[in-house]
Amino acid sequence: MDKIETNQQYQKYVDKKTPNSPILKNCFNAFWVGGLICSIGQIISDFCKFRGFNEETSGSIVAIILIGISAFLTGLNLFNRIGKFAGAGSIVPITGFSNSIVSPAMEYKSEGYIMGVGSKMFTVAGPVLVYGISASILVGIVYLIFNTQSITLV
Amino acid sequence: MQKLGKQTIKFDNPPKIIETASIVGPKEAQGPLAKYFDTLLQDEFWGEETWEKAESKIIKQTVDLVISKAGLAPSDLDFCFAGDLLNQCISSSFGLRELGIPFFGIFGACSTFVEGMILSSILADAGAAKNVLFAASSHFCSAEKQFRFPLELGNQRPPSSQWTVTGSGASIISSSGVGPSVDCVTARQNC
Repeated sequence: MDKIETNQQYQKYVDKKTPNSPILKNCFNAFWVGGLICSIGQIISDFCKFRGFNEETSGSIVAIILIGISAFLTGLNLFNRIGKFAGAGSIVPITGFSNSIVSPAMEYKSEGYIMGVGSKMFTVAGPVLVYGISASILVGIVYLIFNTQSITLV
Repeated sequence: MQKLGKQTIKFDNPPKIIETASIVGPKEAQGPLAKYFDTLLQDEFWGEETWEKAESKIIKQTVDLVISKAGLAPSDLDFCFAGDLLNQCISSSFGLRELGIPFFGIFGACSTFVEGMILSSILADAGAAKNVLFAASSHFCSAEKQFRFPLELGNQRPPSSQWTVTGSGASIISSSGVGPSVDCVTARQNC
């Protein structure tokens, strides 16, 4: 073992000793759990269409049901266990978004409904909303400019 | 008391650590150090409504325990130093307010306990106090809430992620008495 004298040497030593995340296992679990959630969504969507709803309404119903289920599982202290196992598999679909709003709401309930739940509910999802909506507005403006031009060109 | 070098203080009348006490939560109770703690909790709430109140109760009970183990009354203590990880050191200040001991809130995260020990030793060696109490506390759930993510958030922790202790430690430094003595203290520069 070499002598550790500089911060870089120490950092190297720490990196060597630190156990890595089991990436292959995590990817596999994320793949099948994420796939399962999406399949459930597809089944609900197909069922709605089978019962006579149009494409758009079916999509809304899928979102409502998946959000509802994951909010409920978060409340039962089950979603964090699924998340620990599946990682991105359960965070990336709309279920993770629901969890990221319900979990701070639960956490901050002890600080009251206005200053706790109300103001802290979006601490996790807030940045996604702010930059997601901002980005969509920008893309919308770009689309408007280029789309109008292409129409006038035609 | 004299300063040695850049960051060390040497005491003329080394103060003694006369008593210690600790209370820890359920996860620490399962660990290899469990037999050294005074009280092991089975429940993170300890009968309280919130984690912050539970943490406050943990530090209060730890301080009560160290005082009774030392065979002293709260009035025998001249000053106390305590800190935790929450805003305004709320669990320490609420936990210790009923004792009626002049209180200094300190914040040093991991180093809070040793900071308290250094400052207590200086007071005891300088003759400004006979008995000084110092304590530190943290609570996994309240620290996660303060600094990281809600507990119910479905994220993955890497295998090397650290776990904030649920528990509290308290000790009494005295200018006289029996126990390990504090001969010198060295404060590290912040990097």
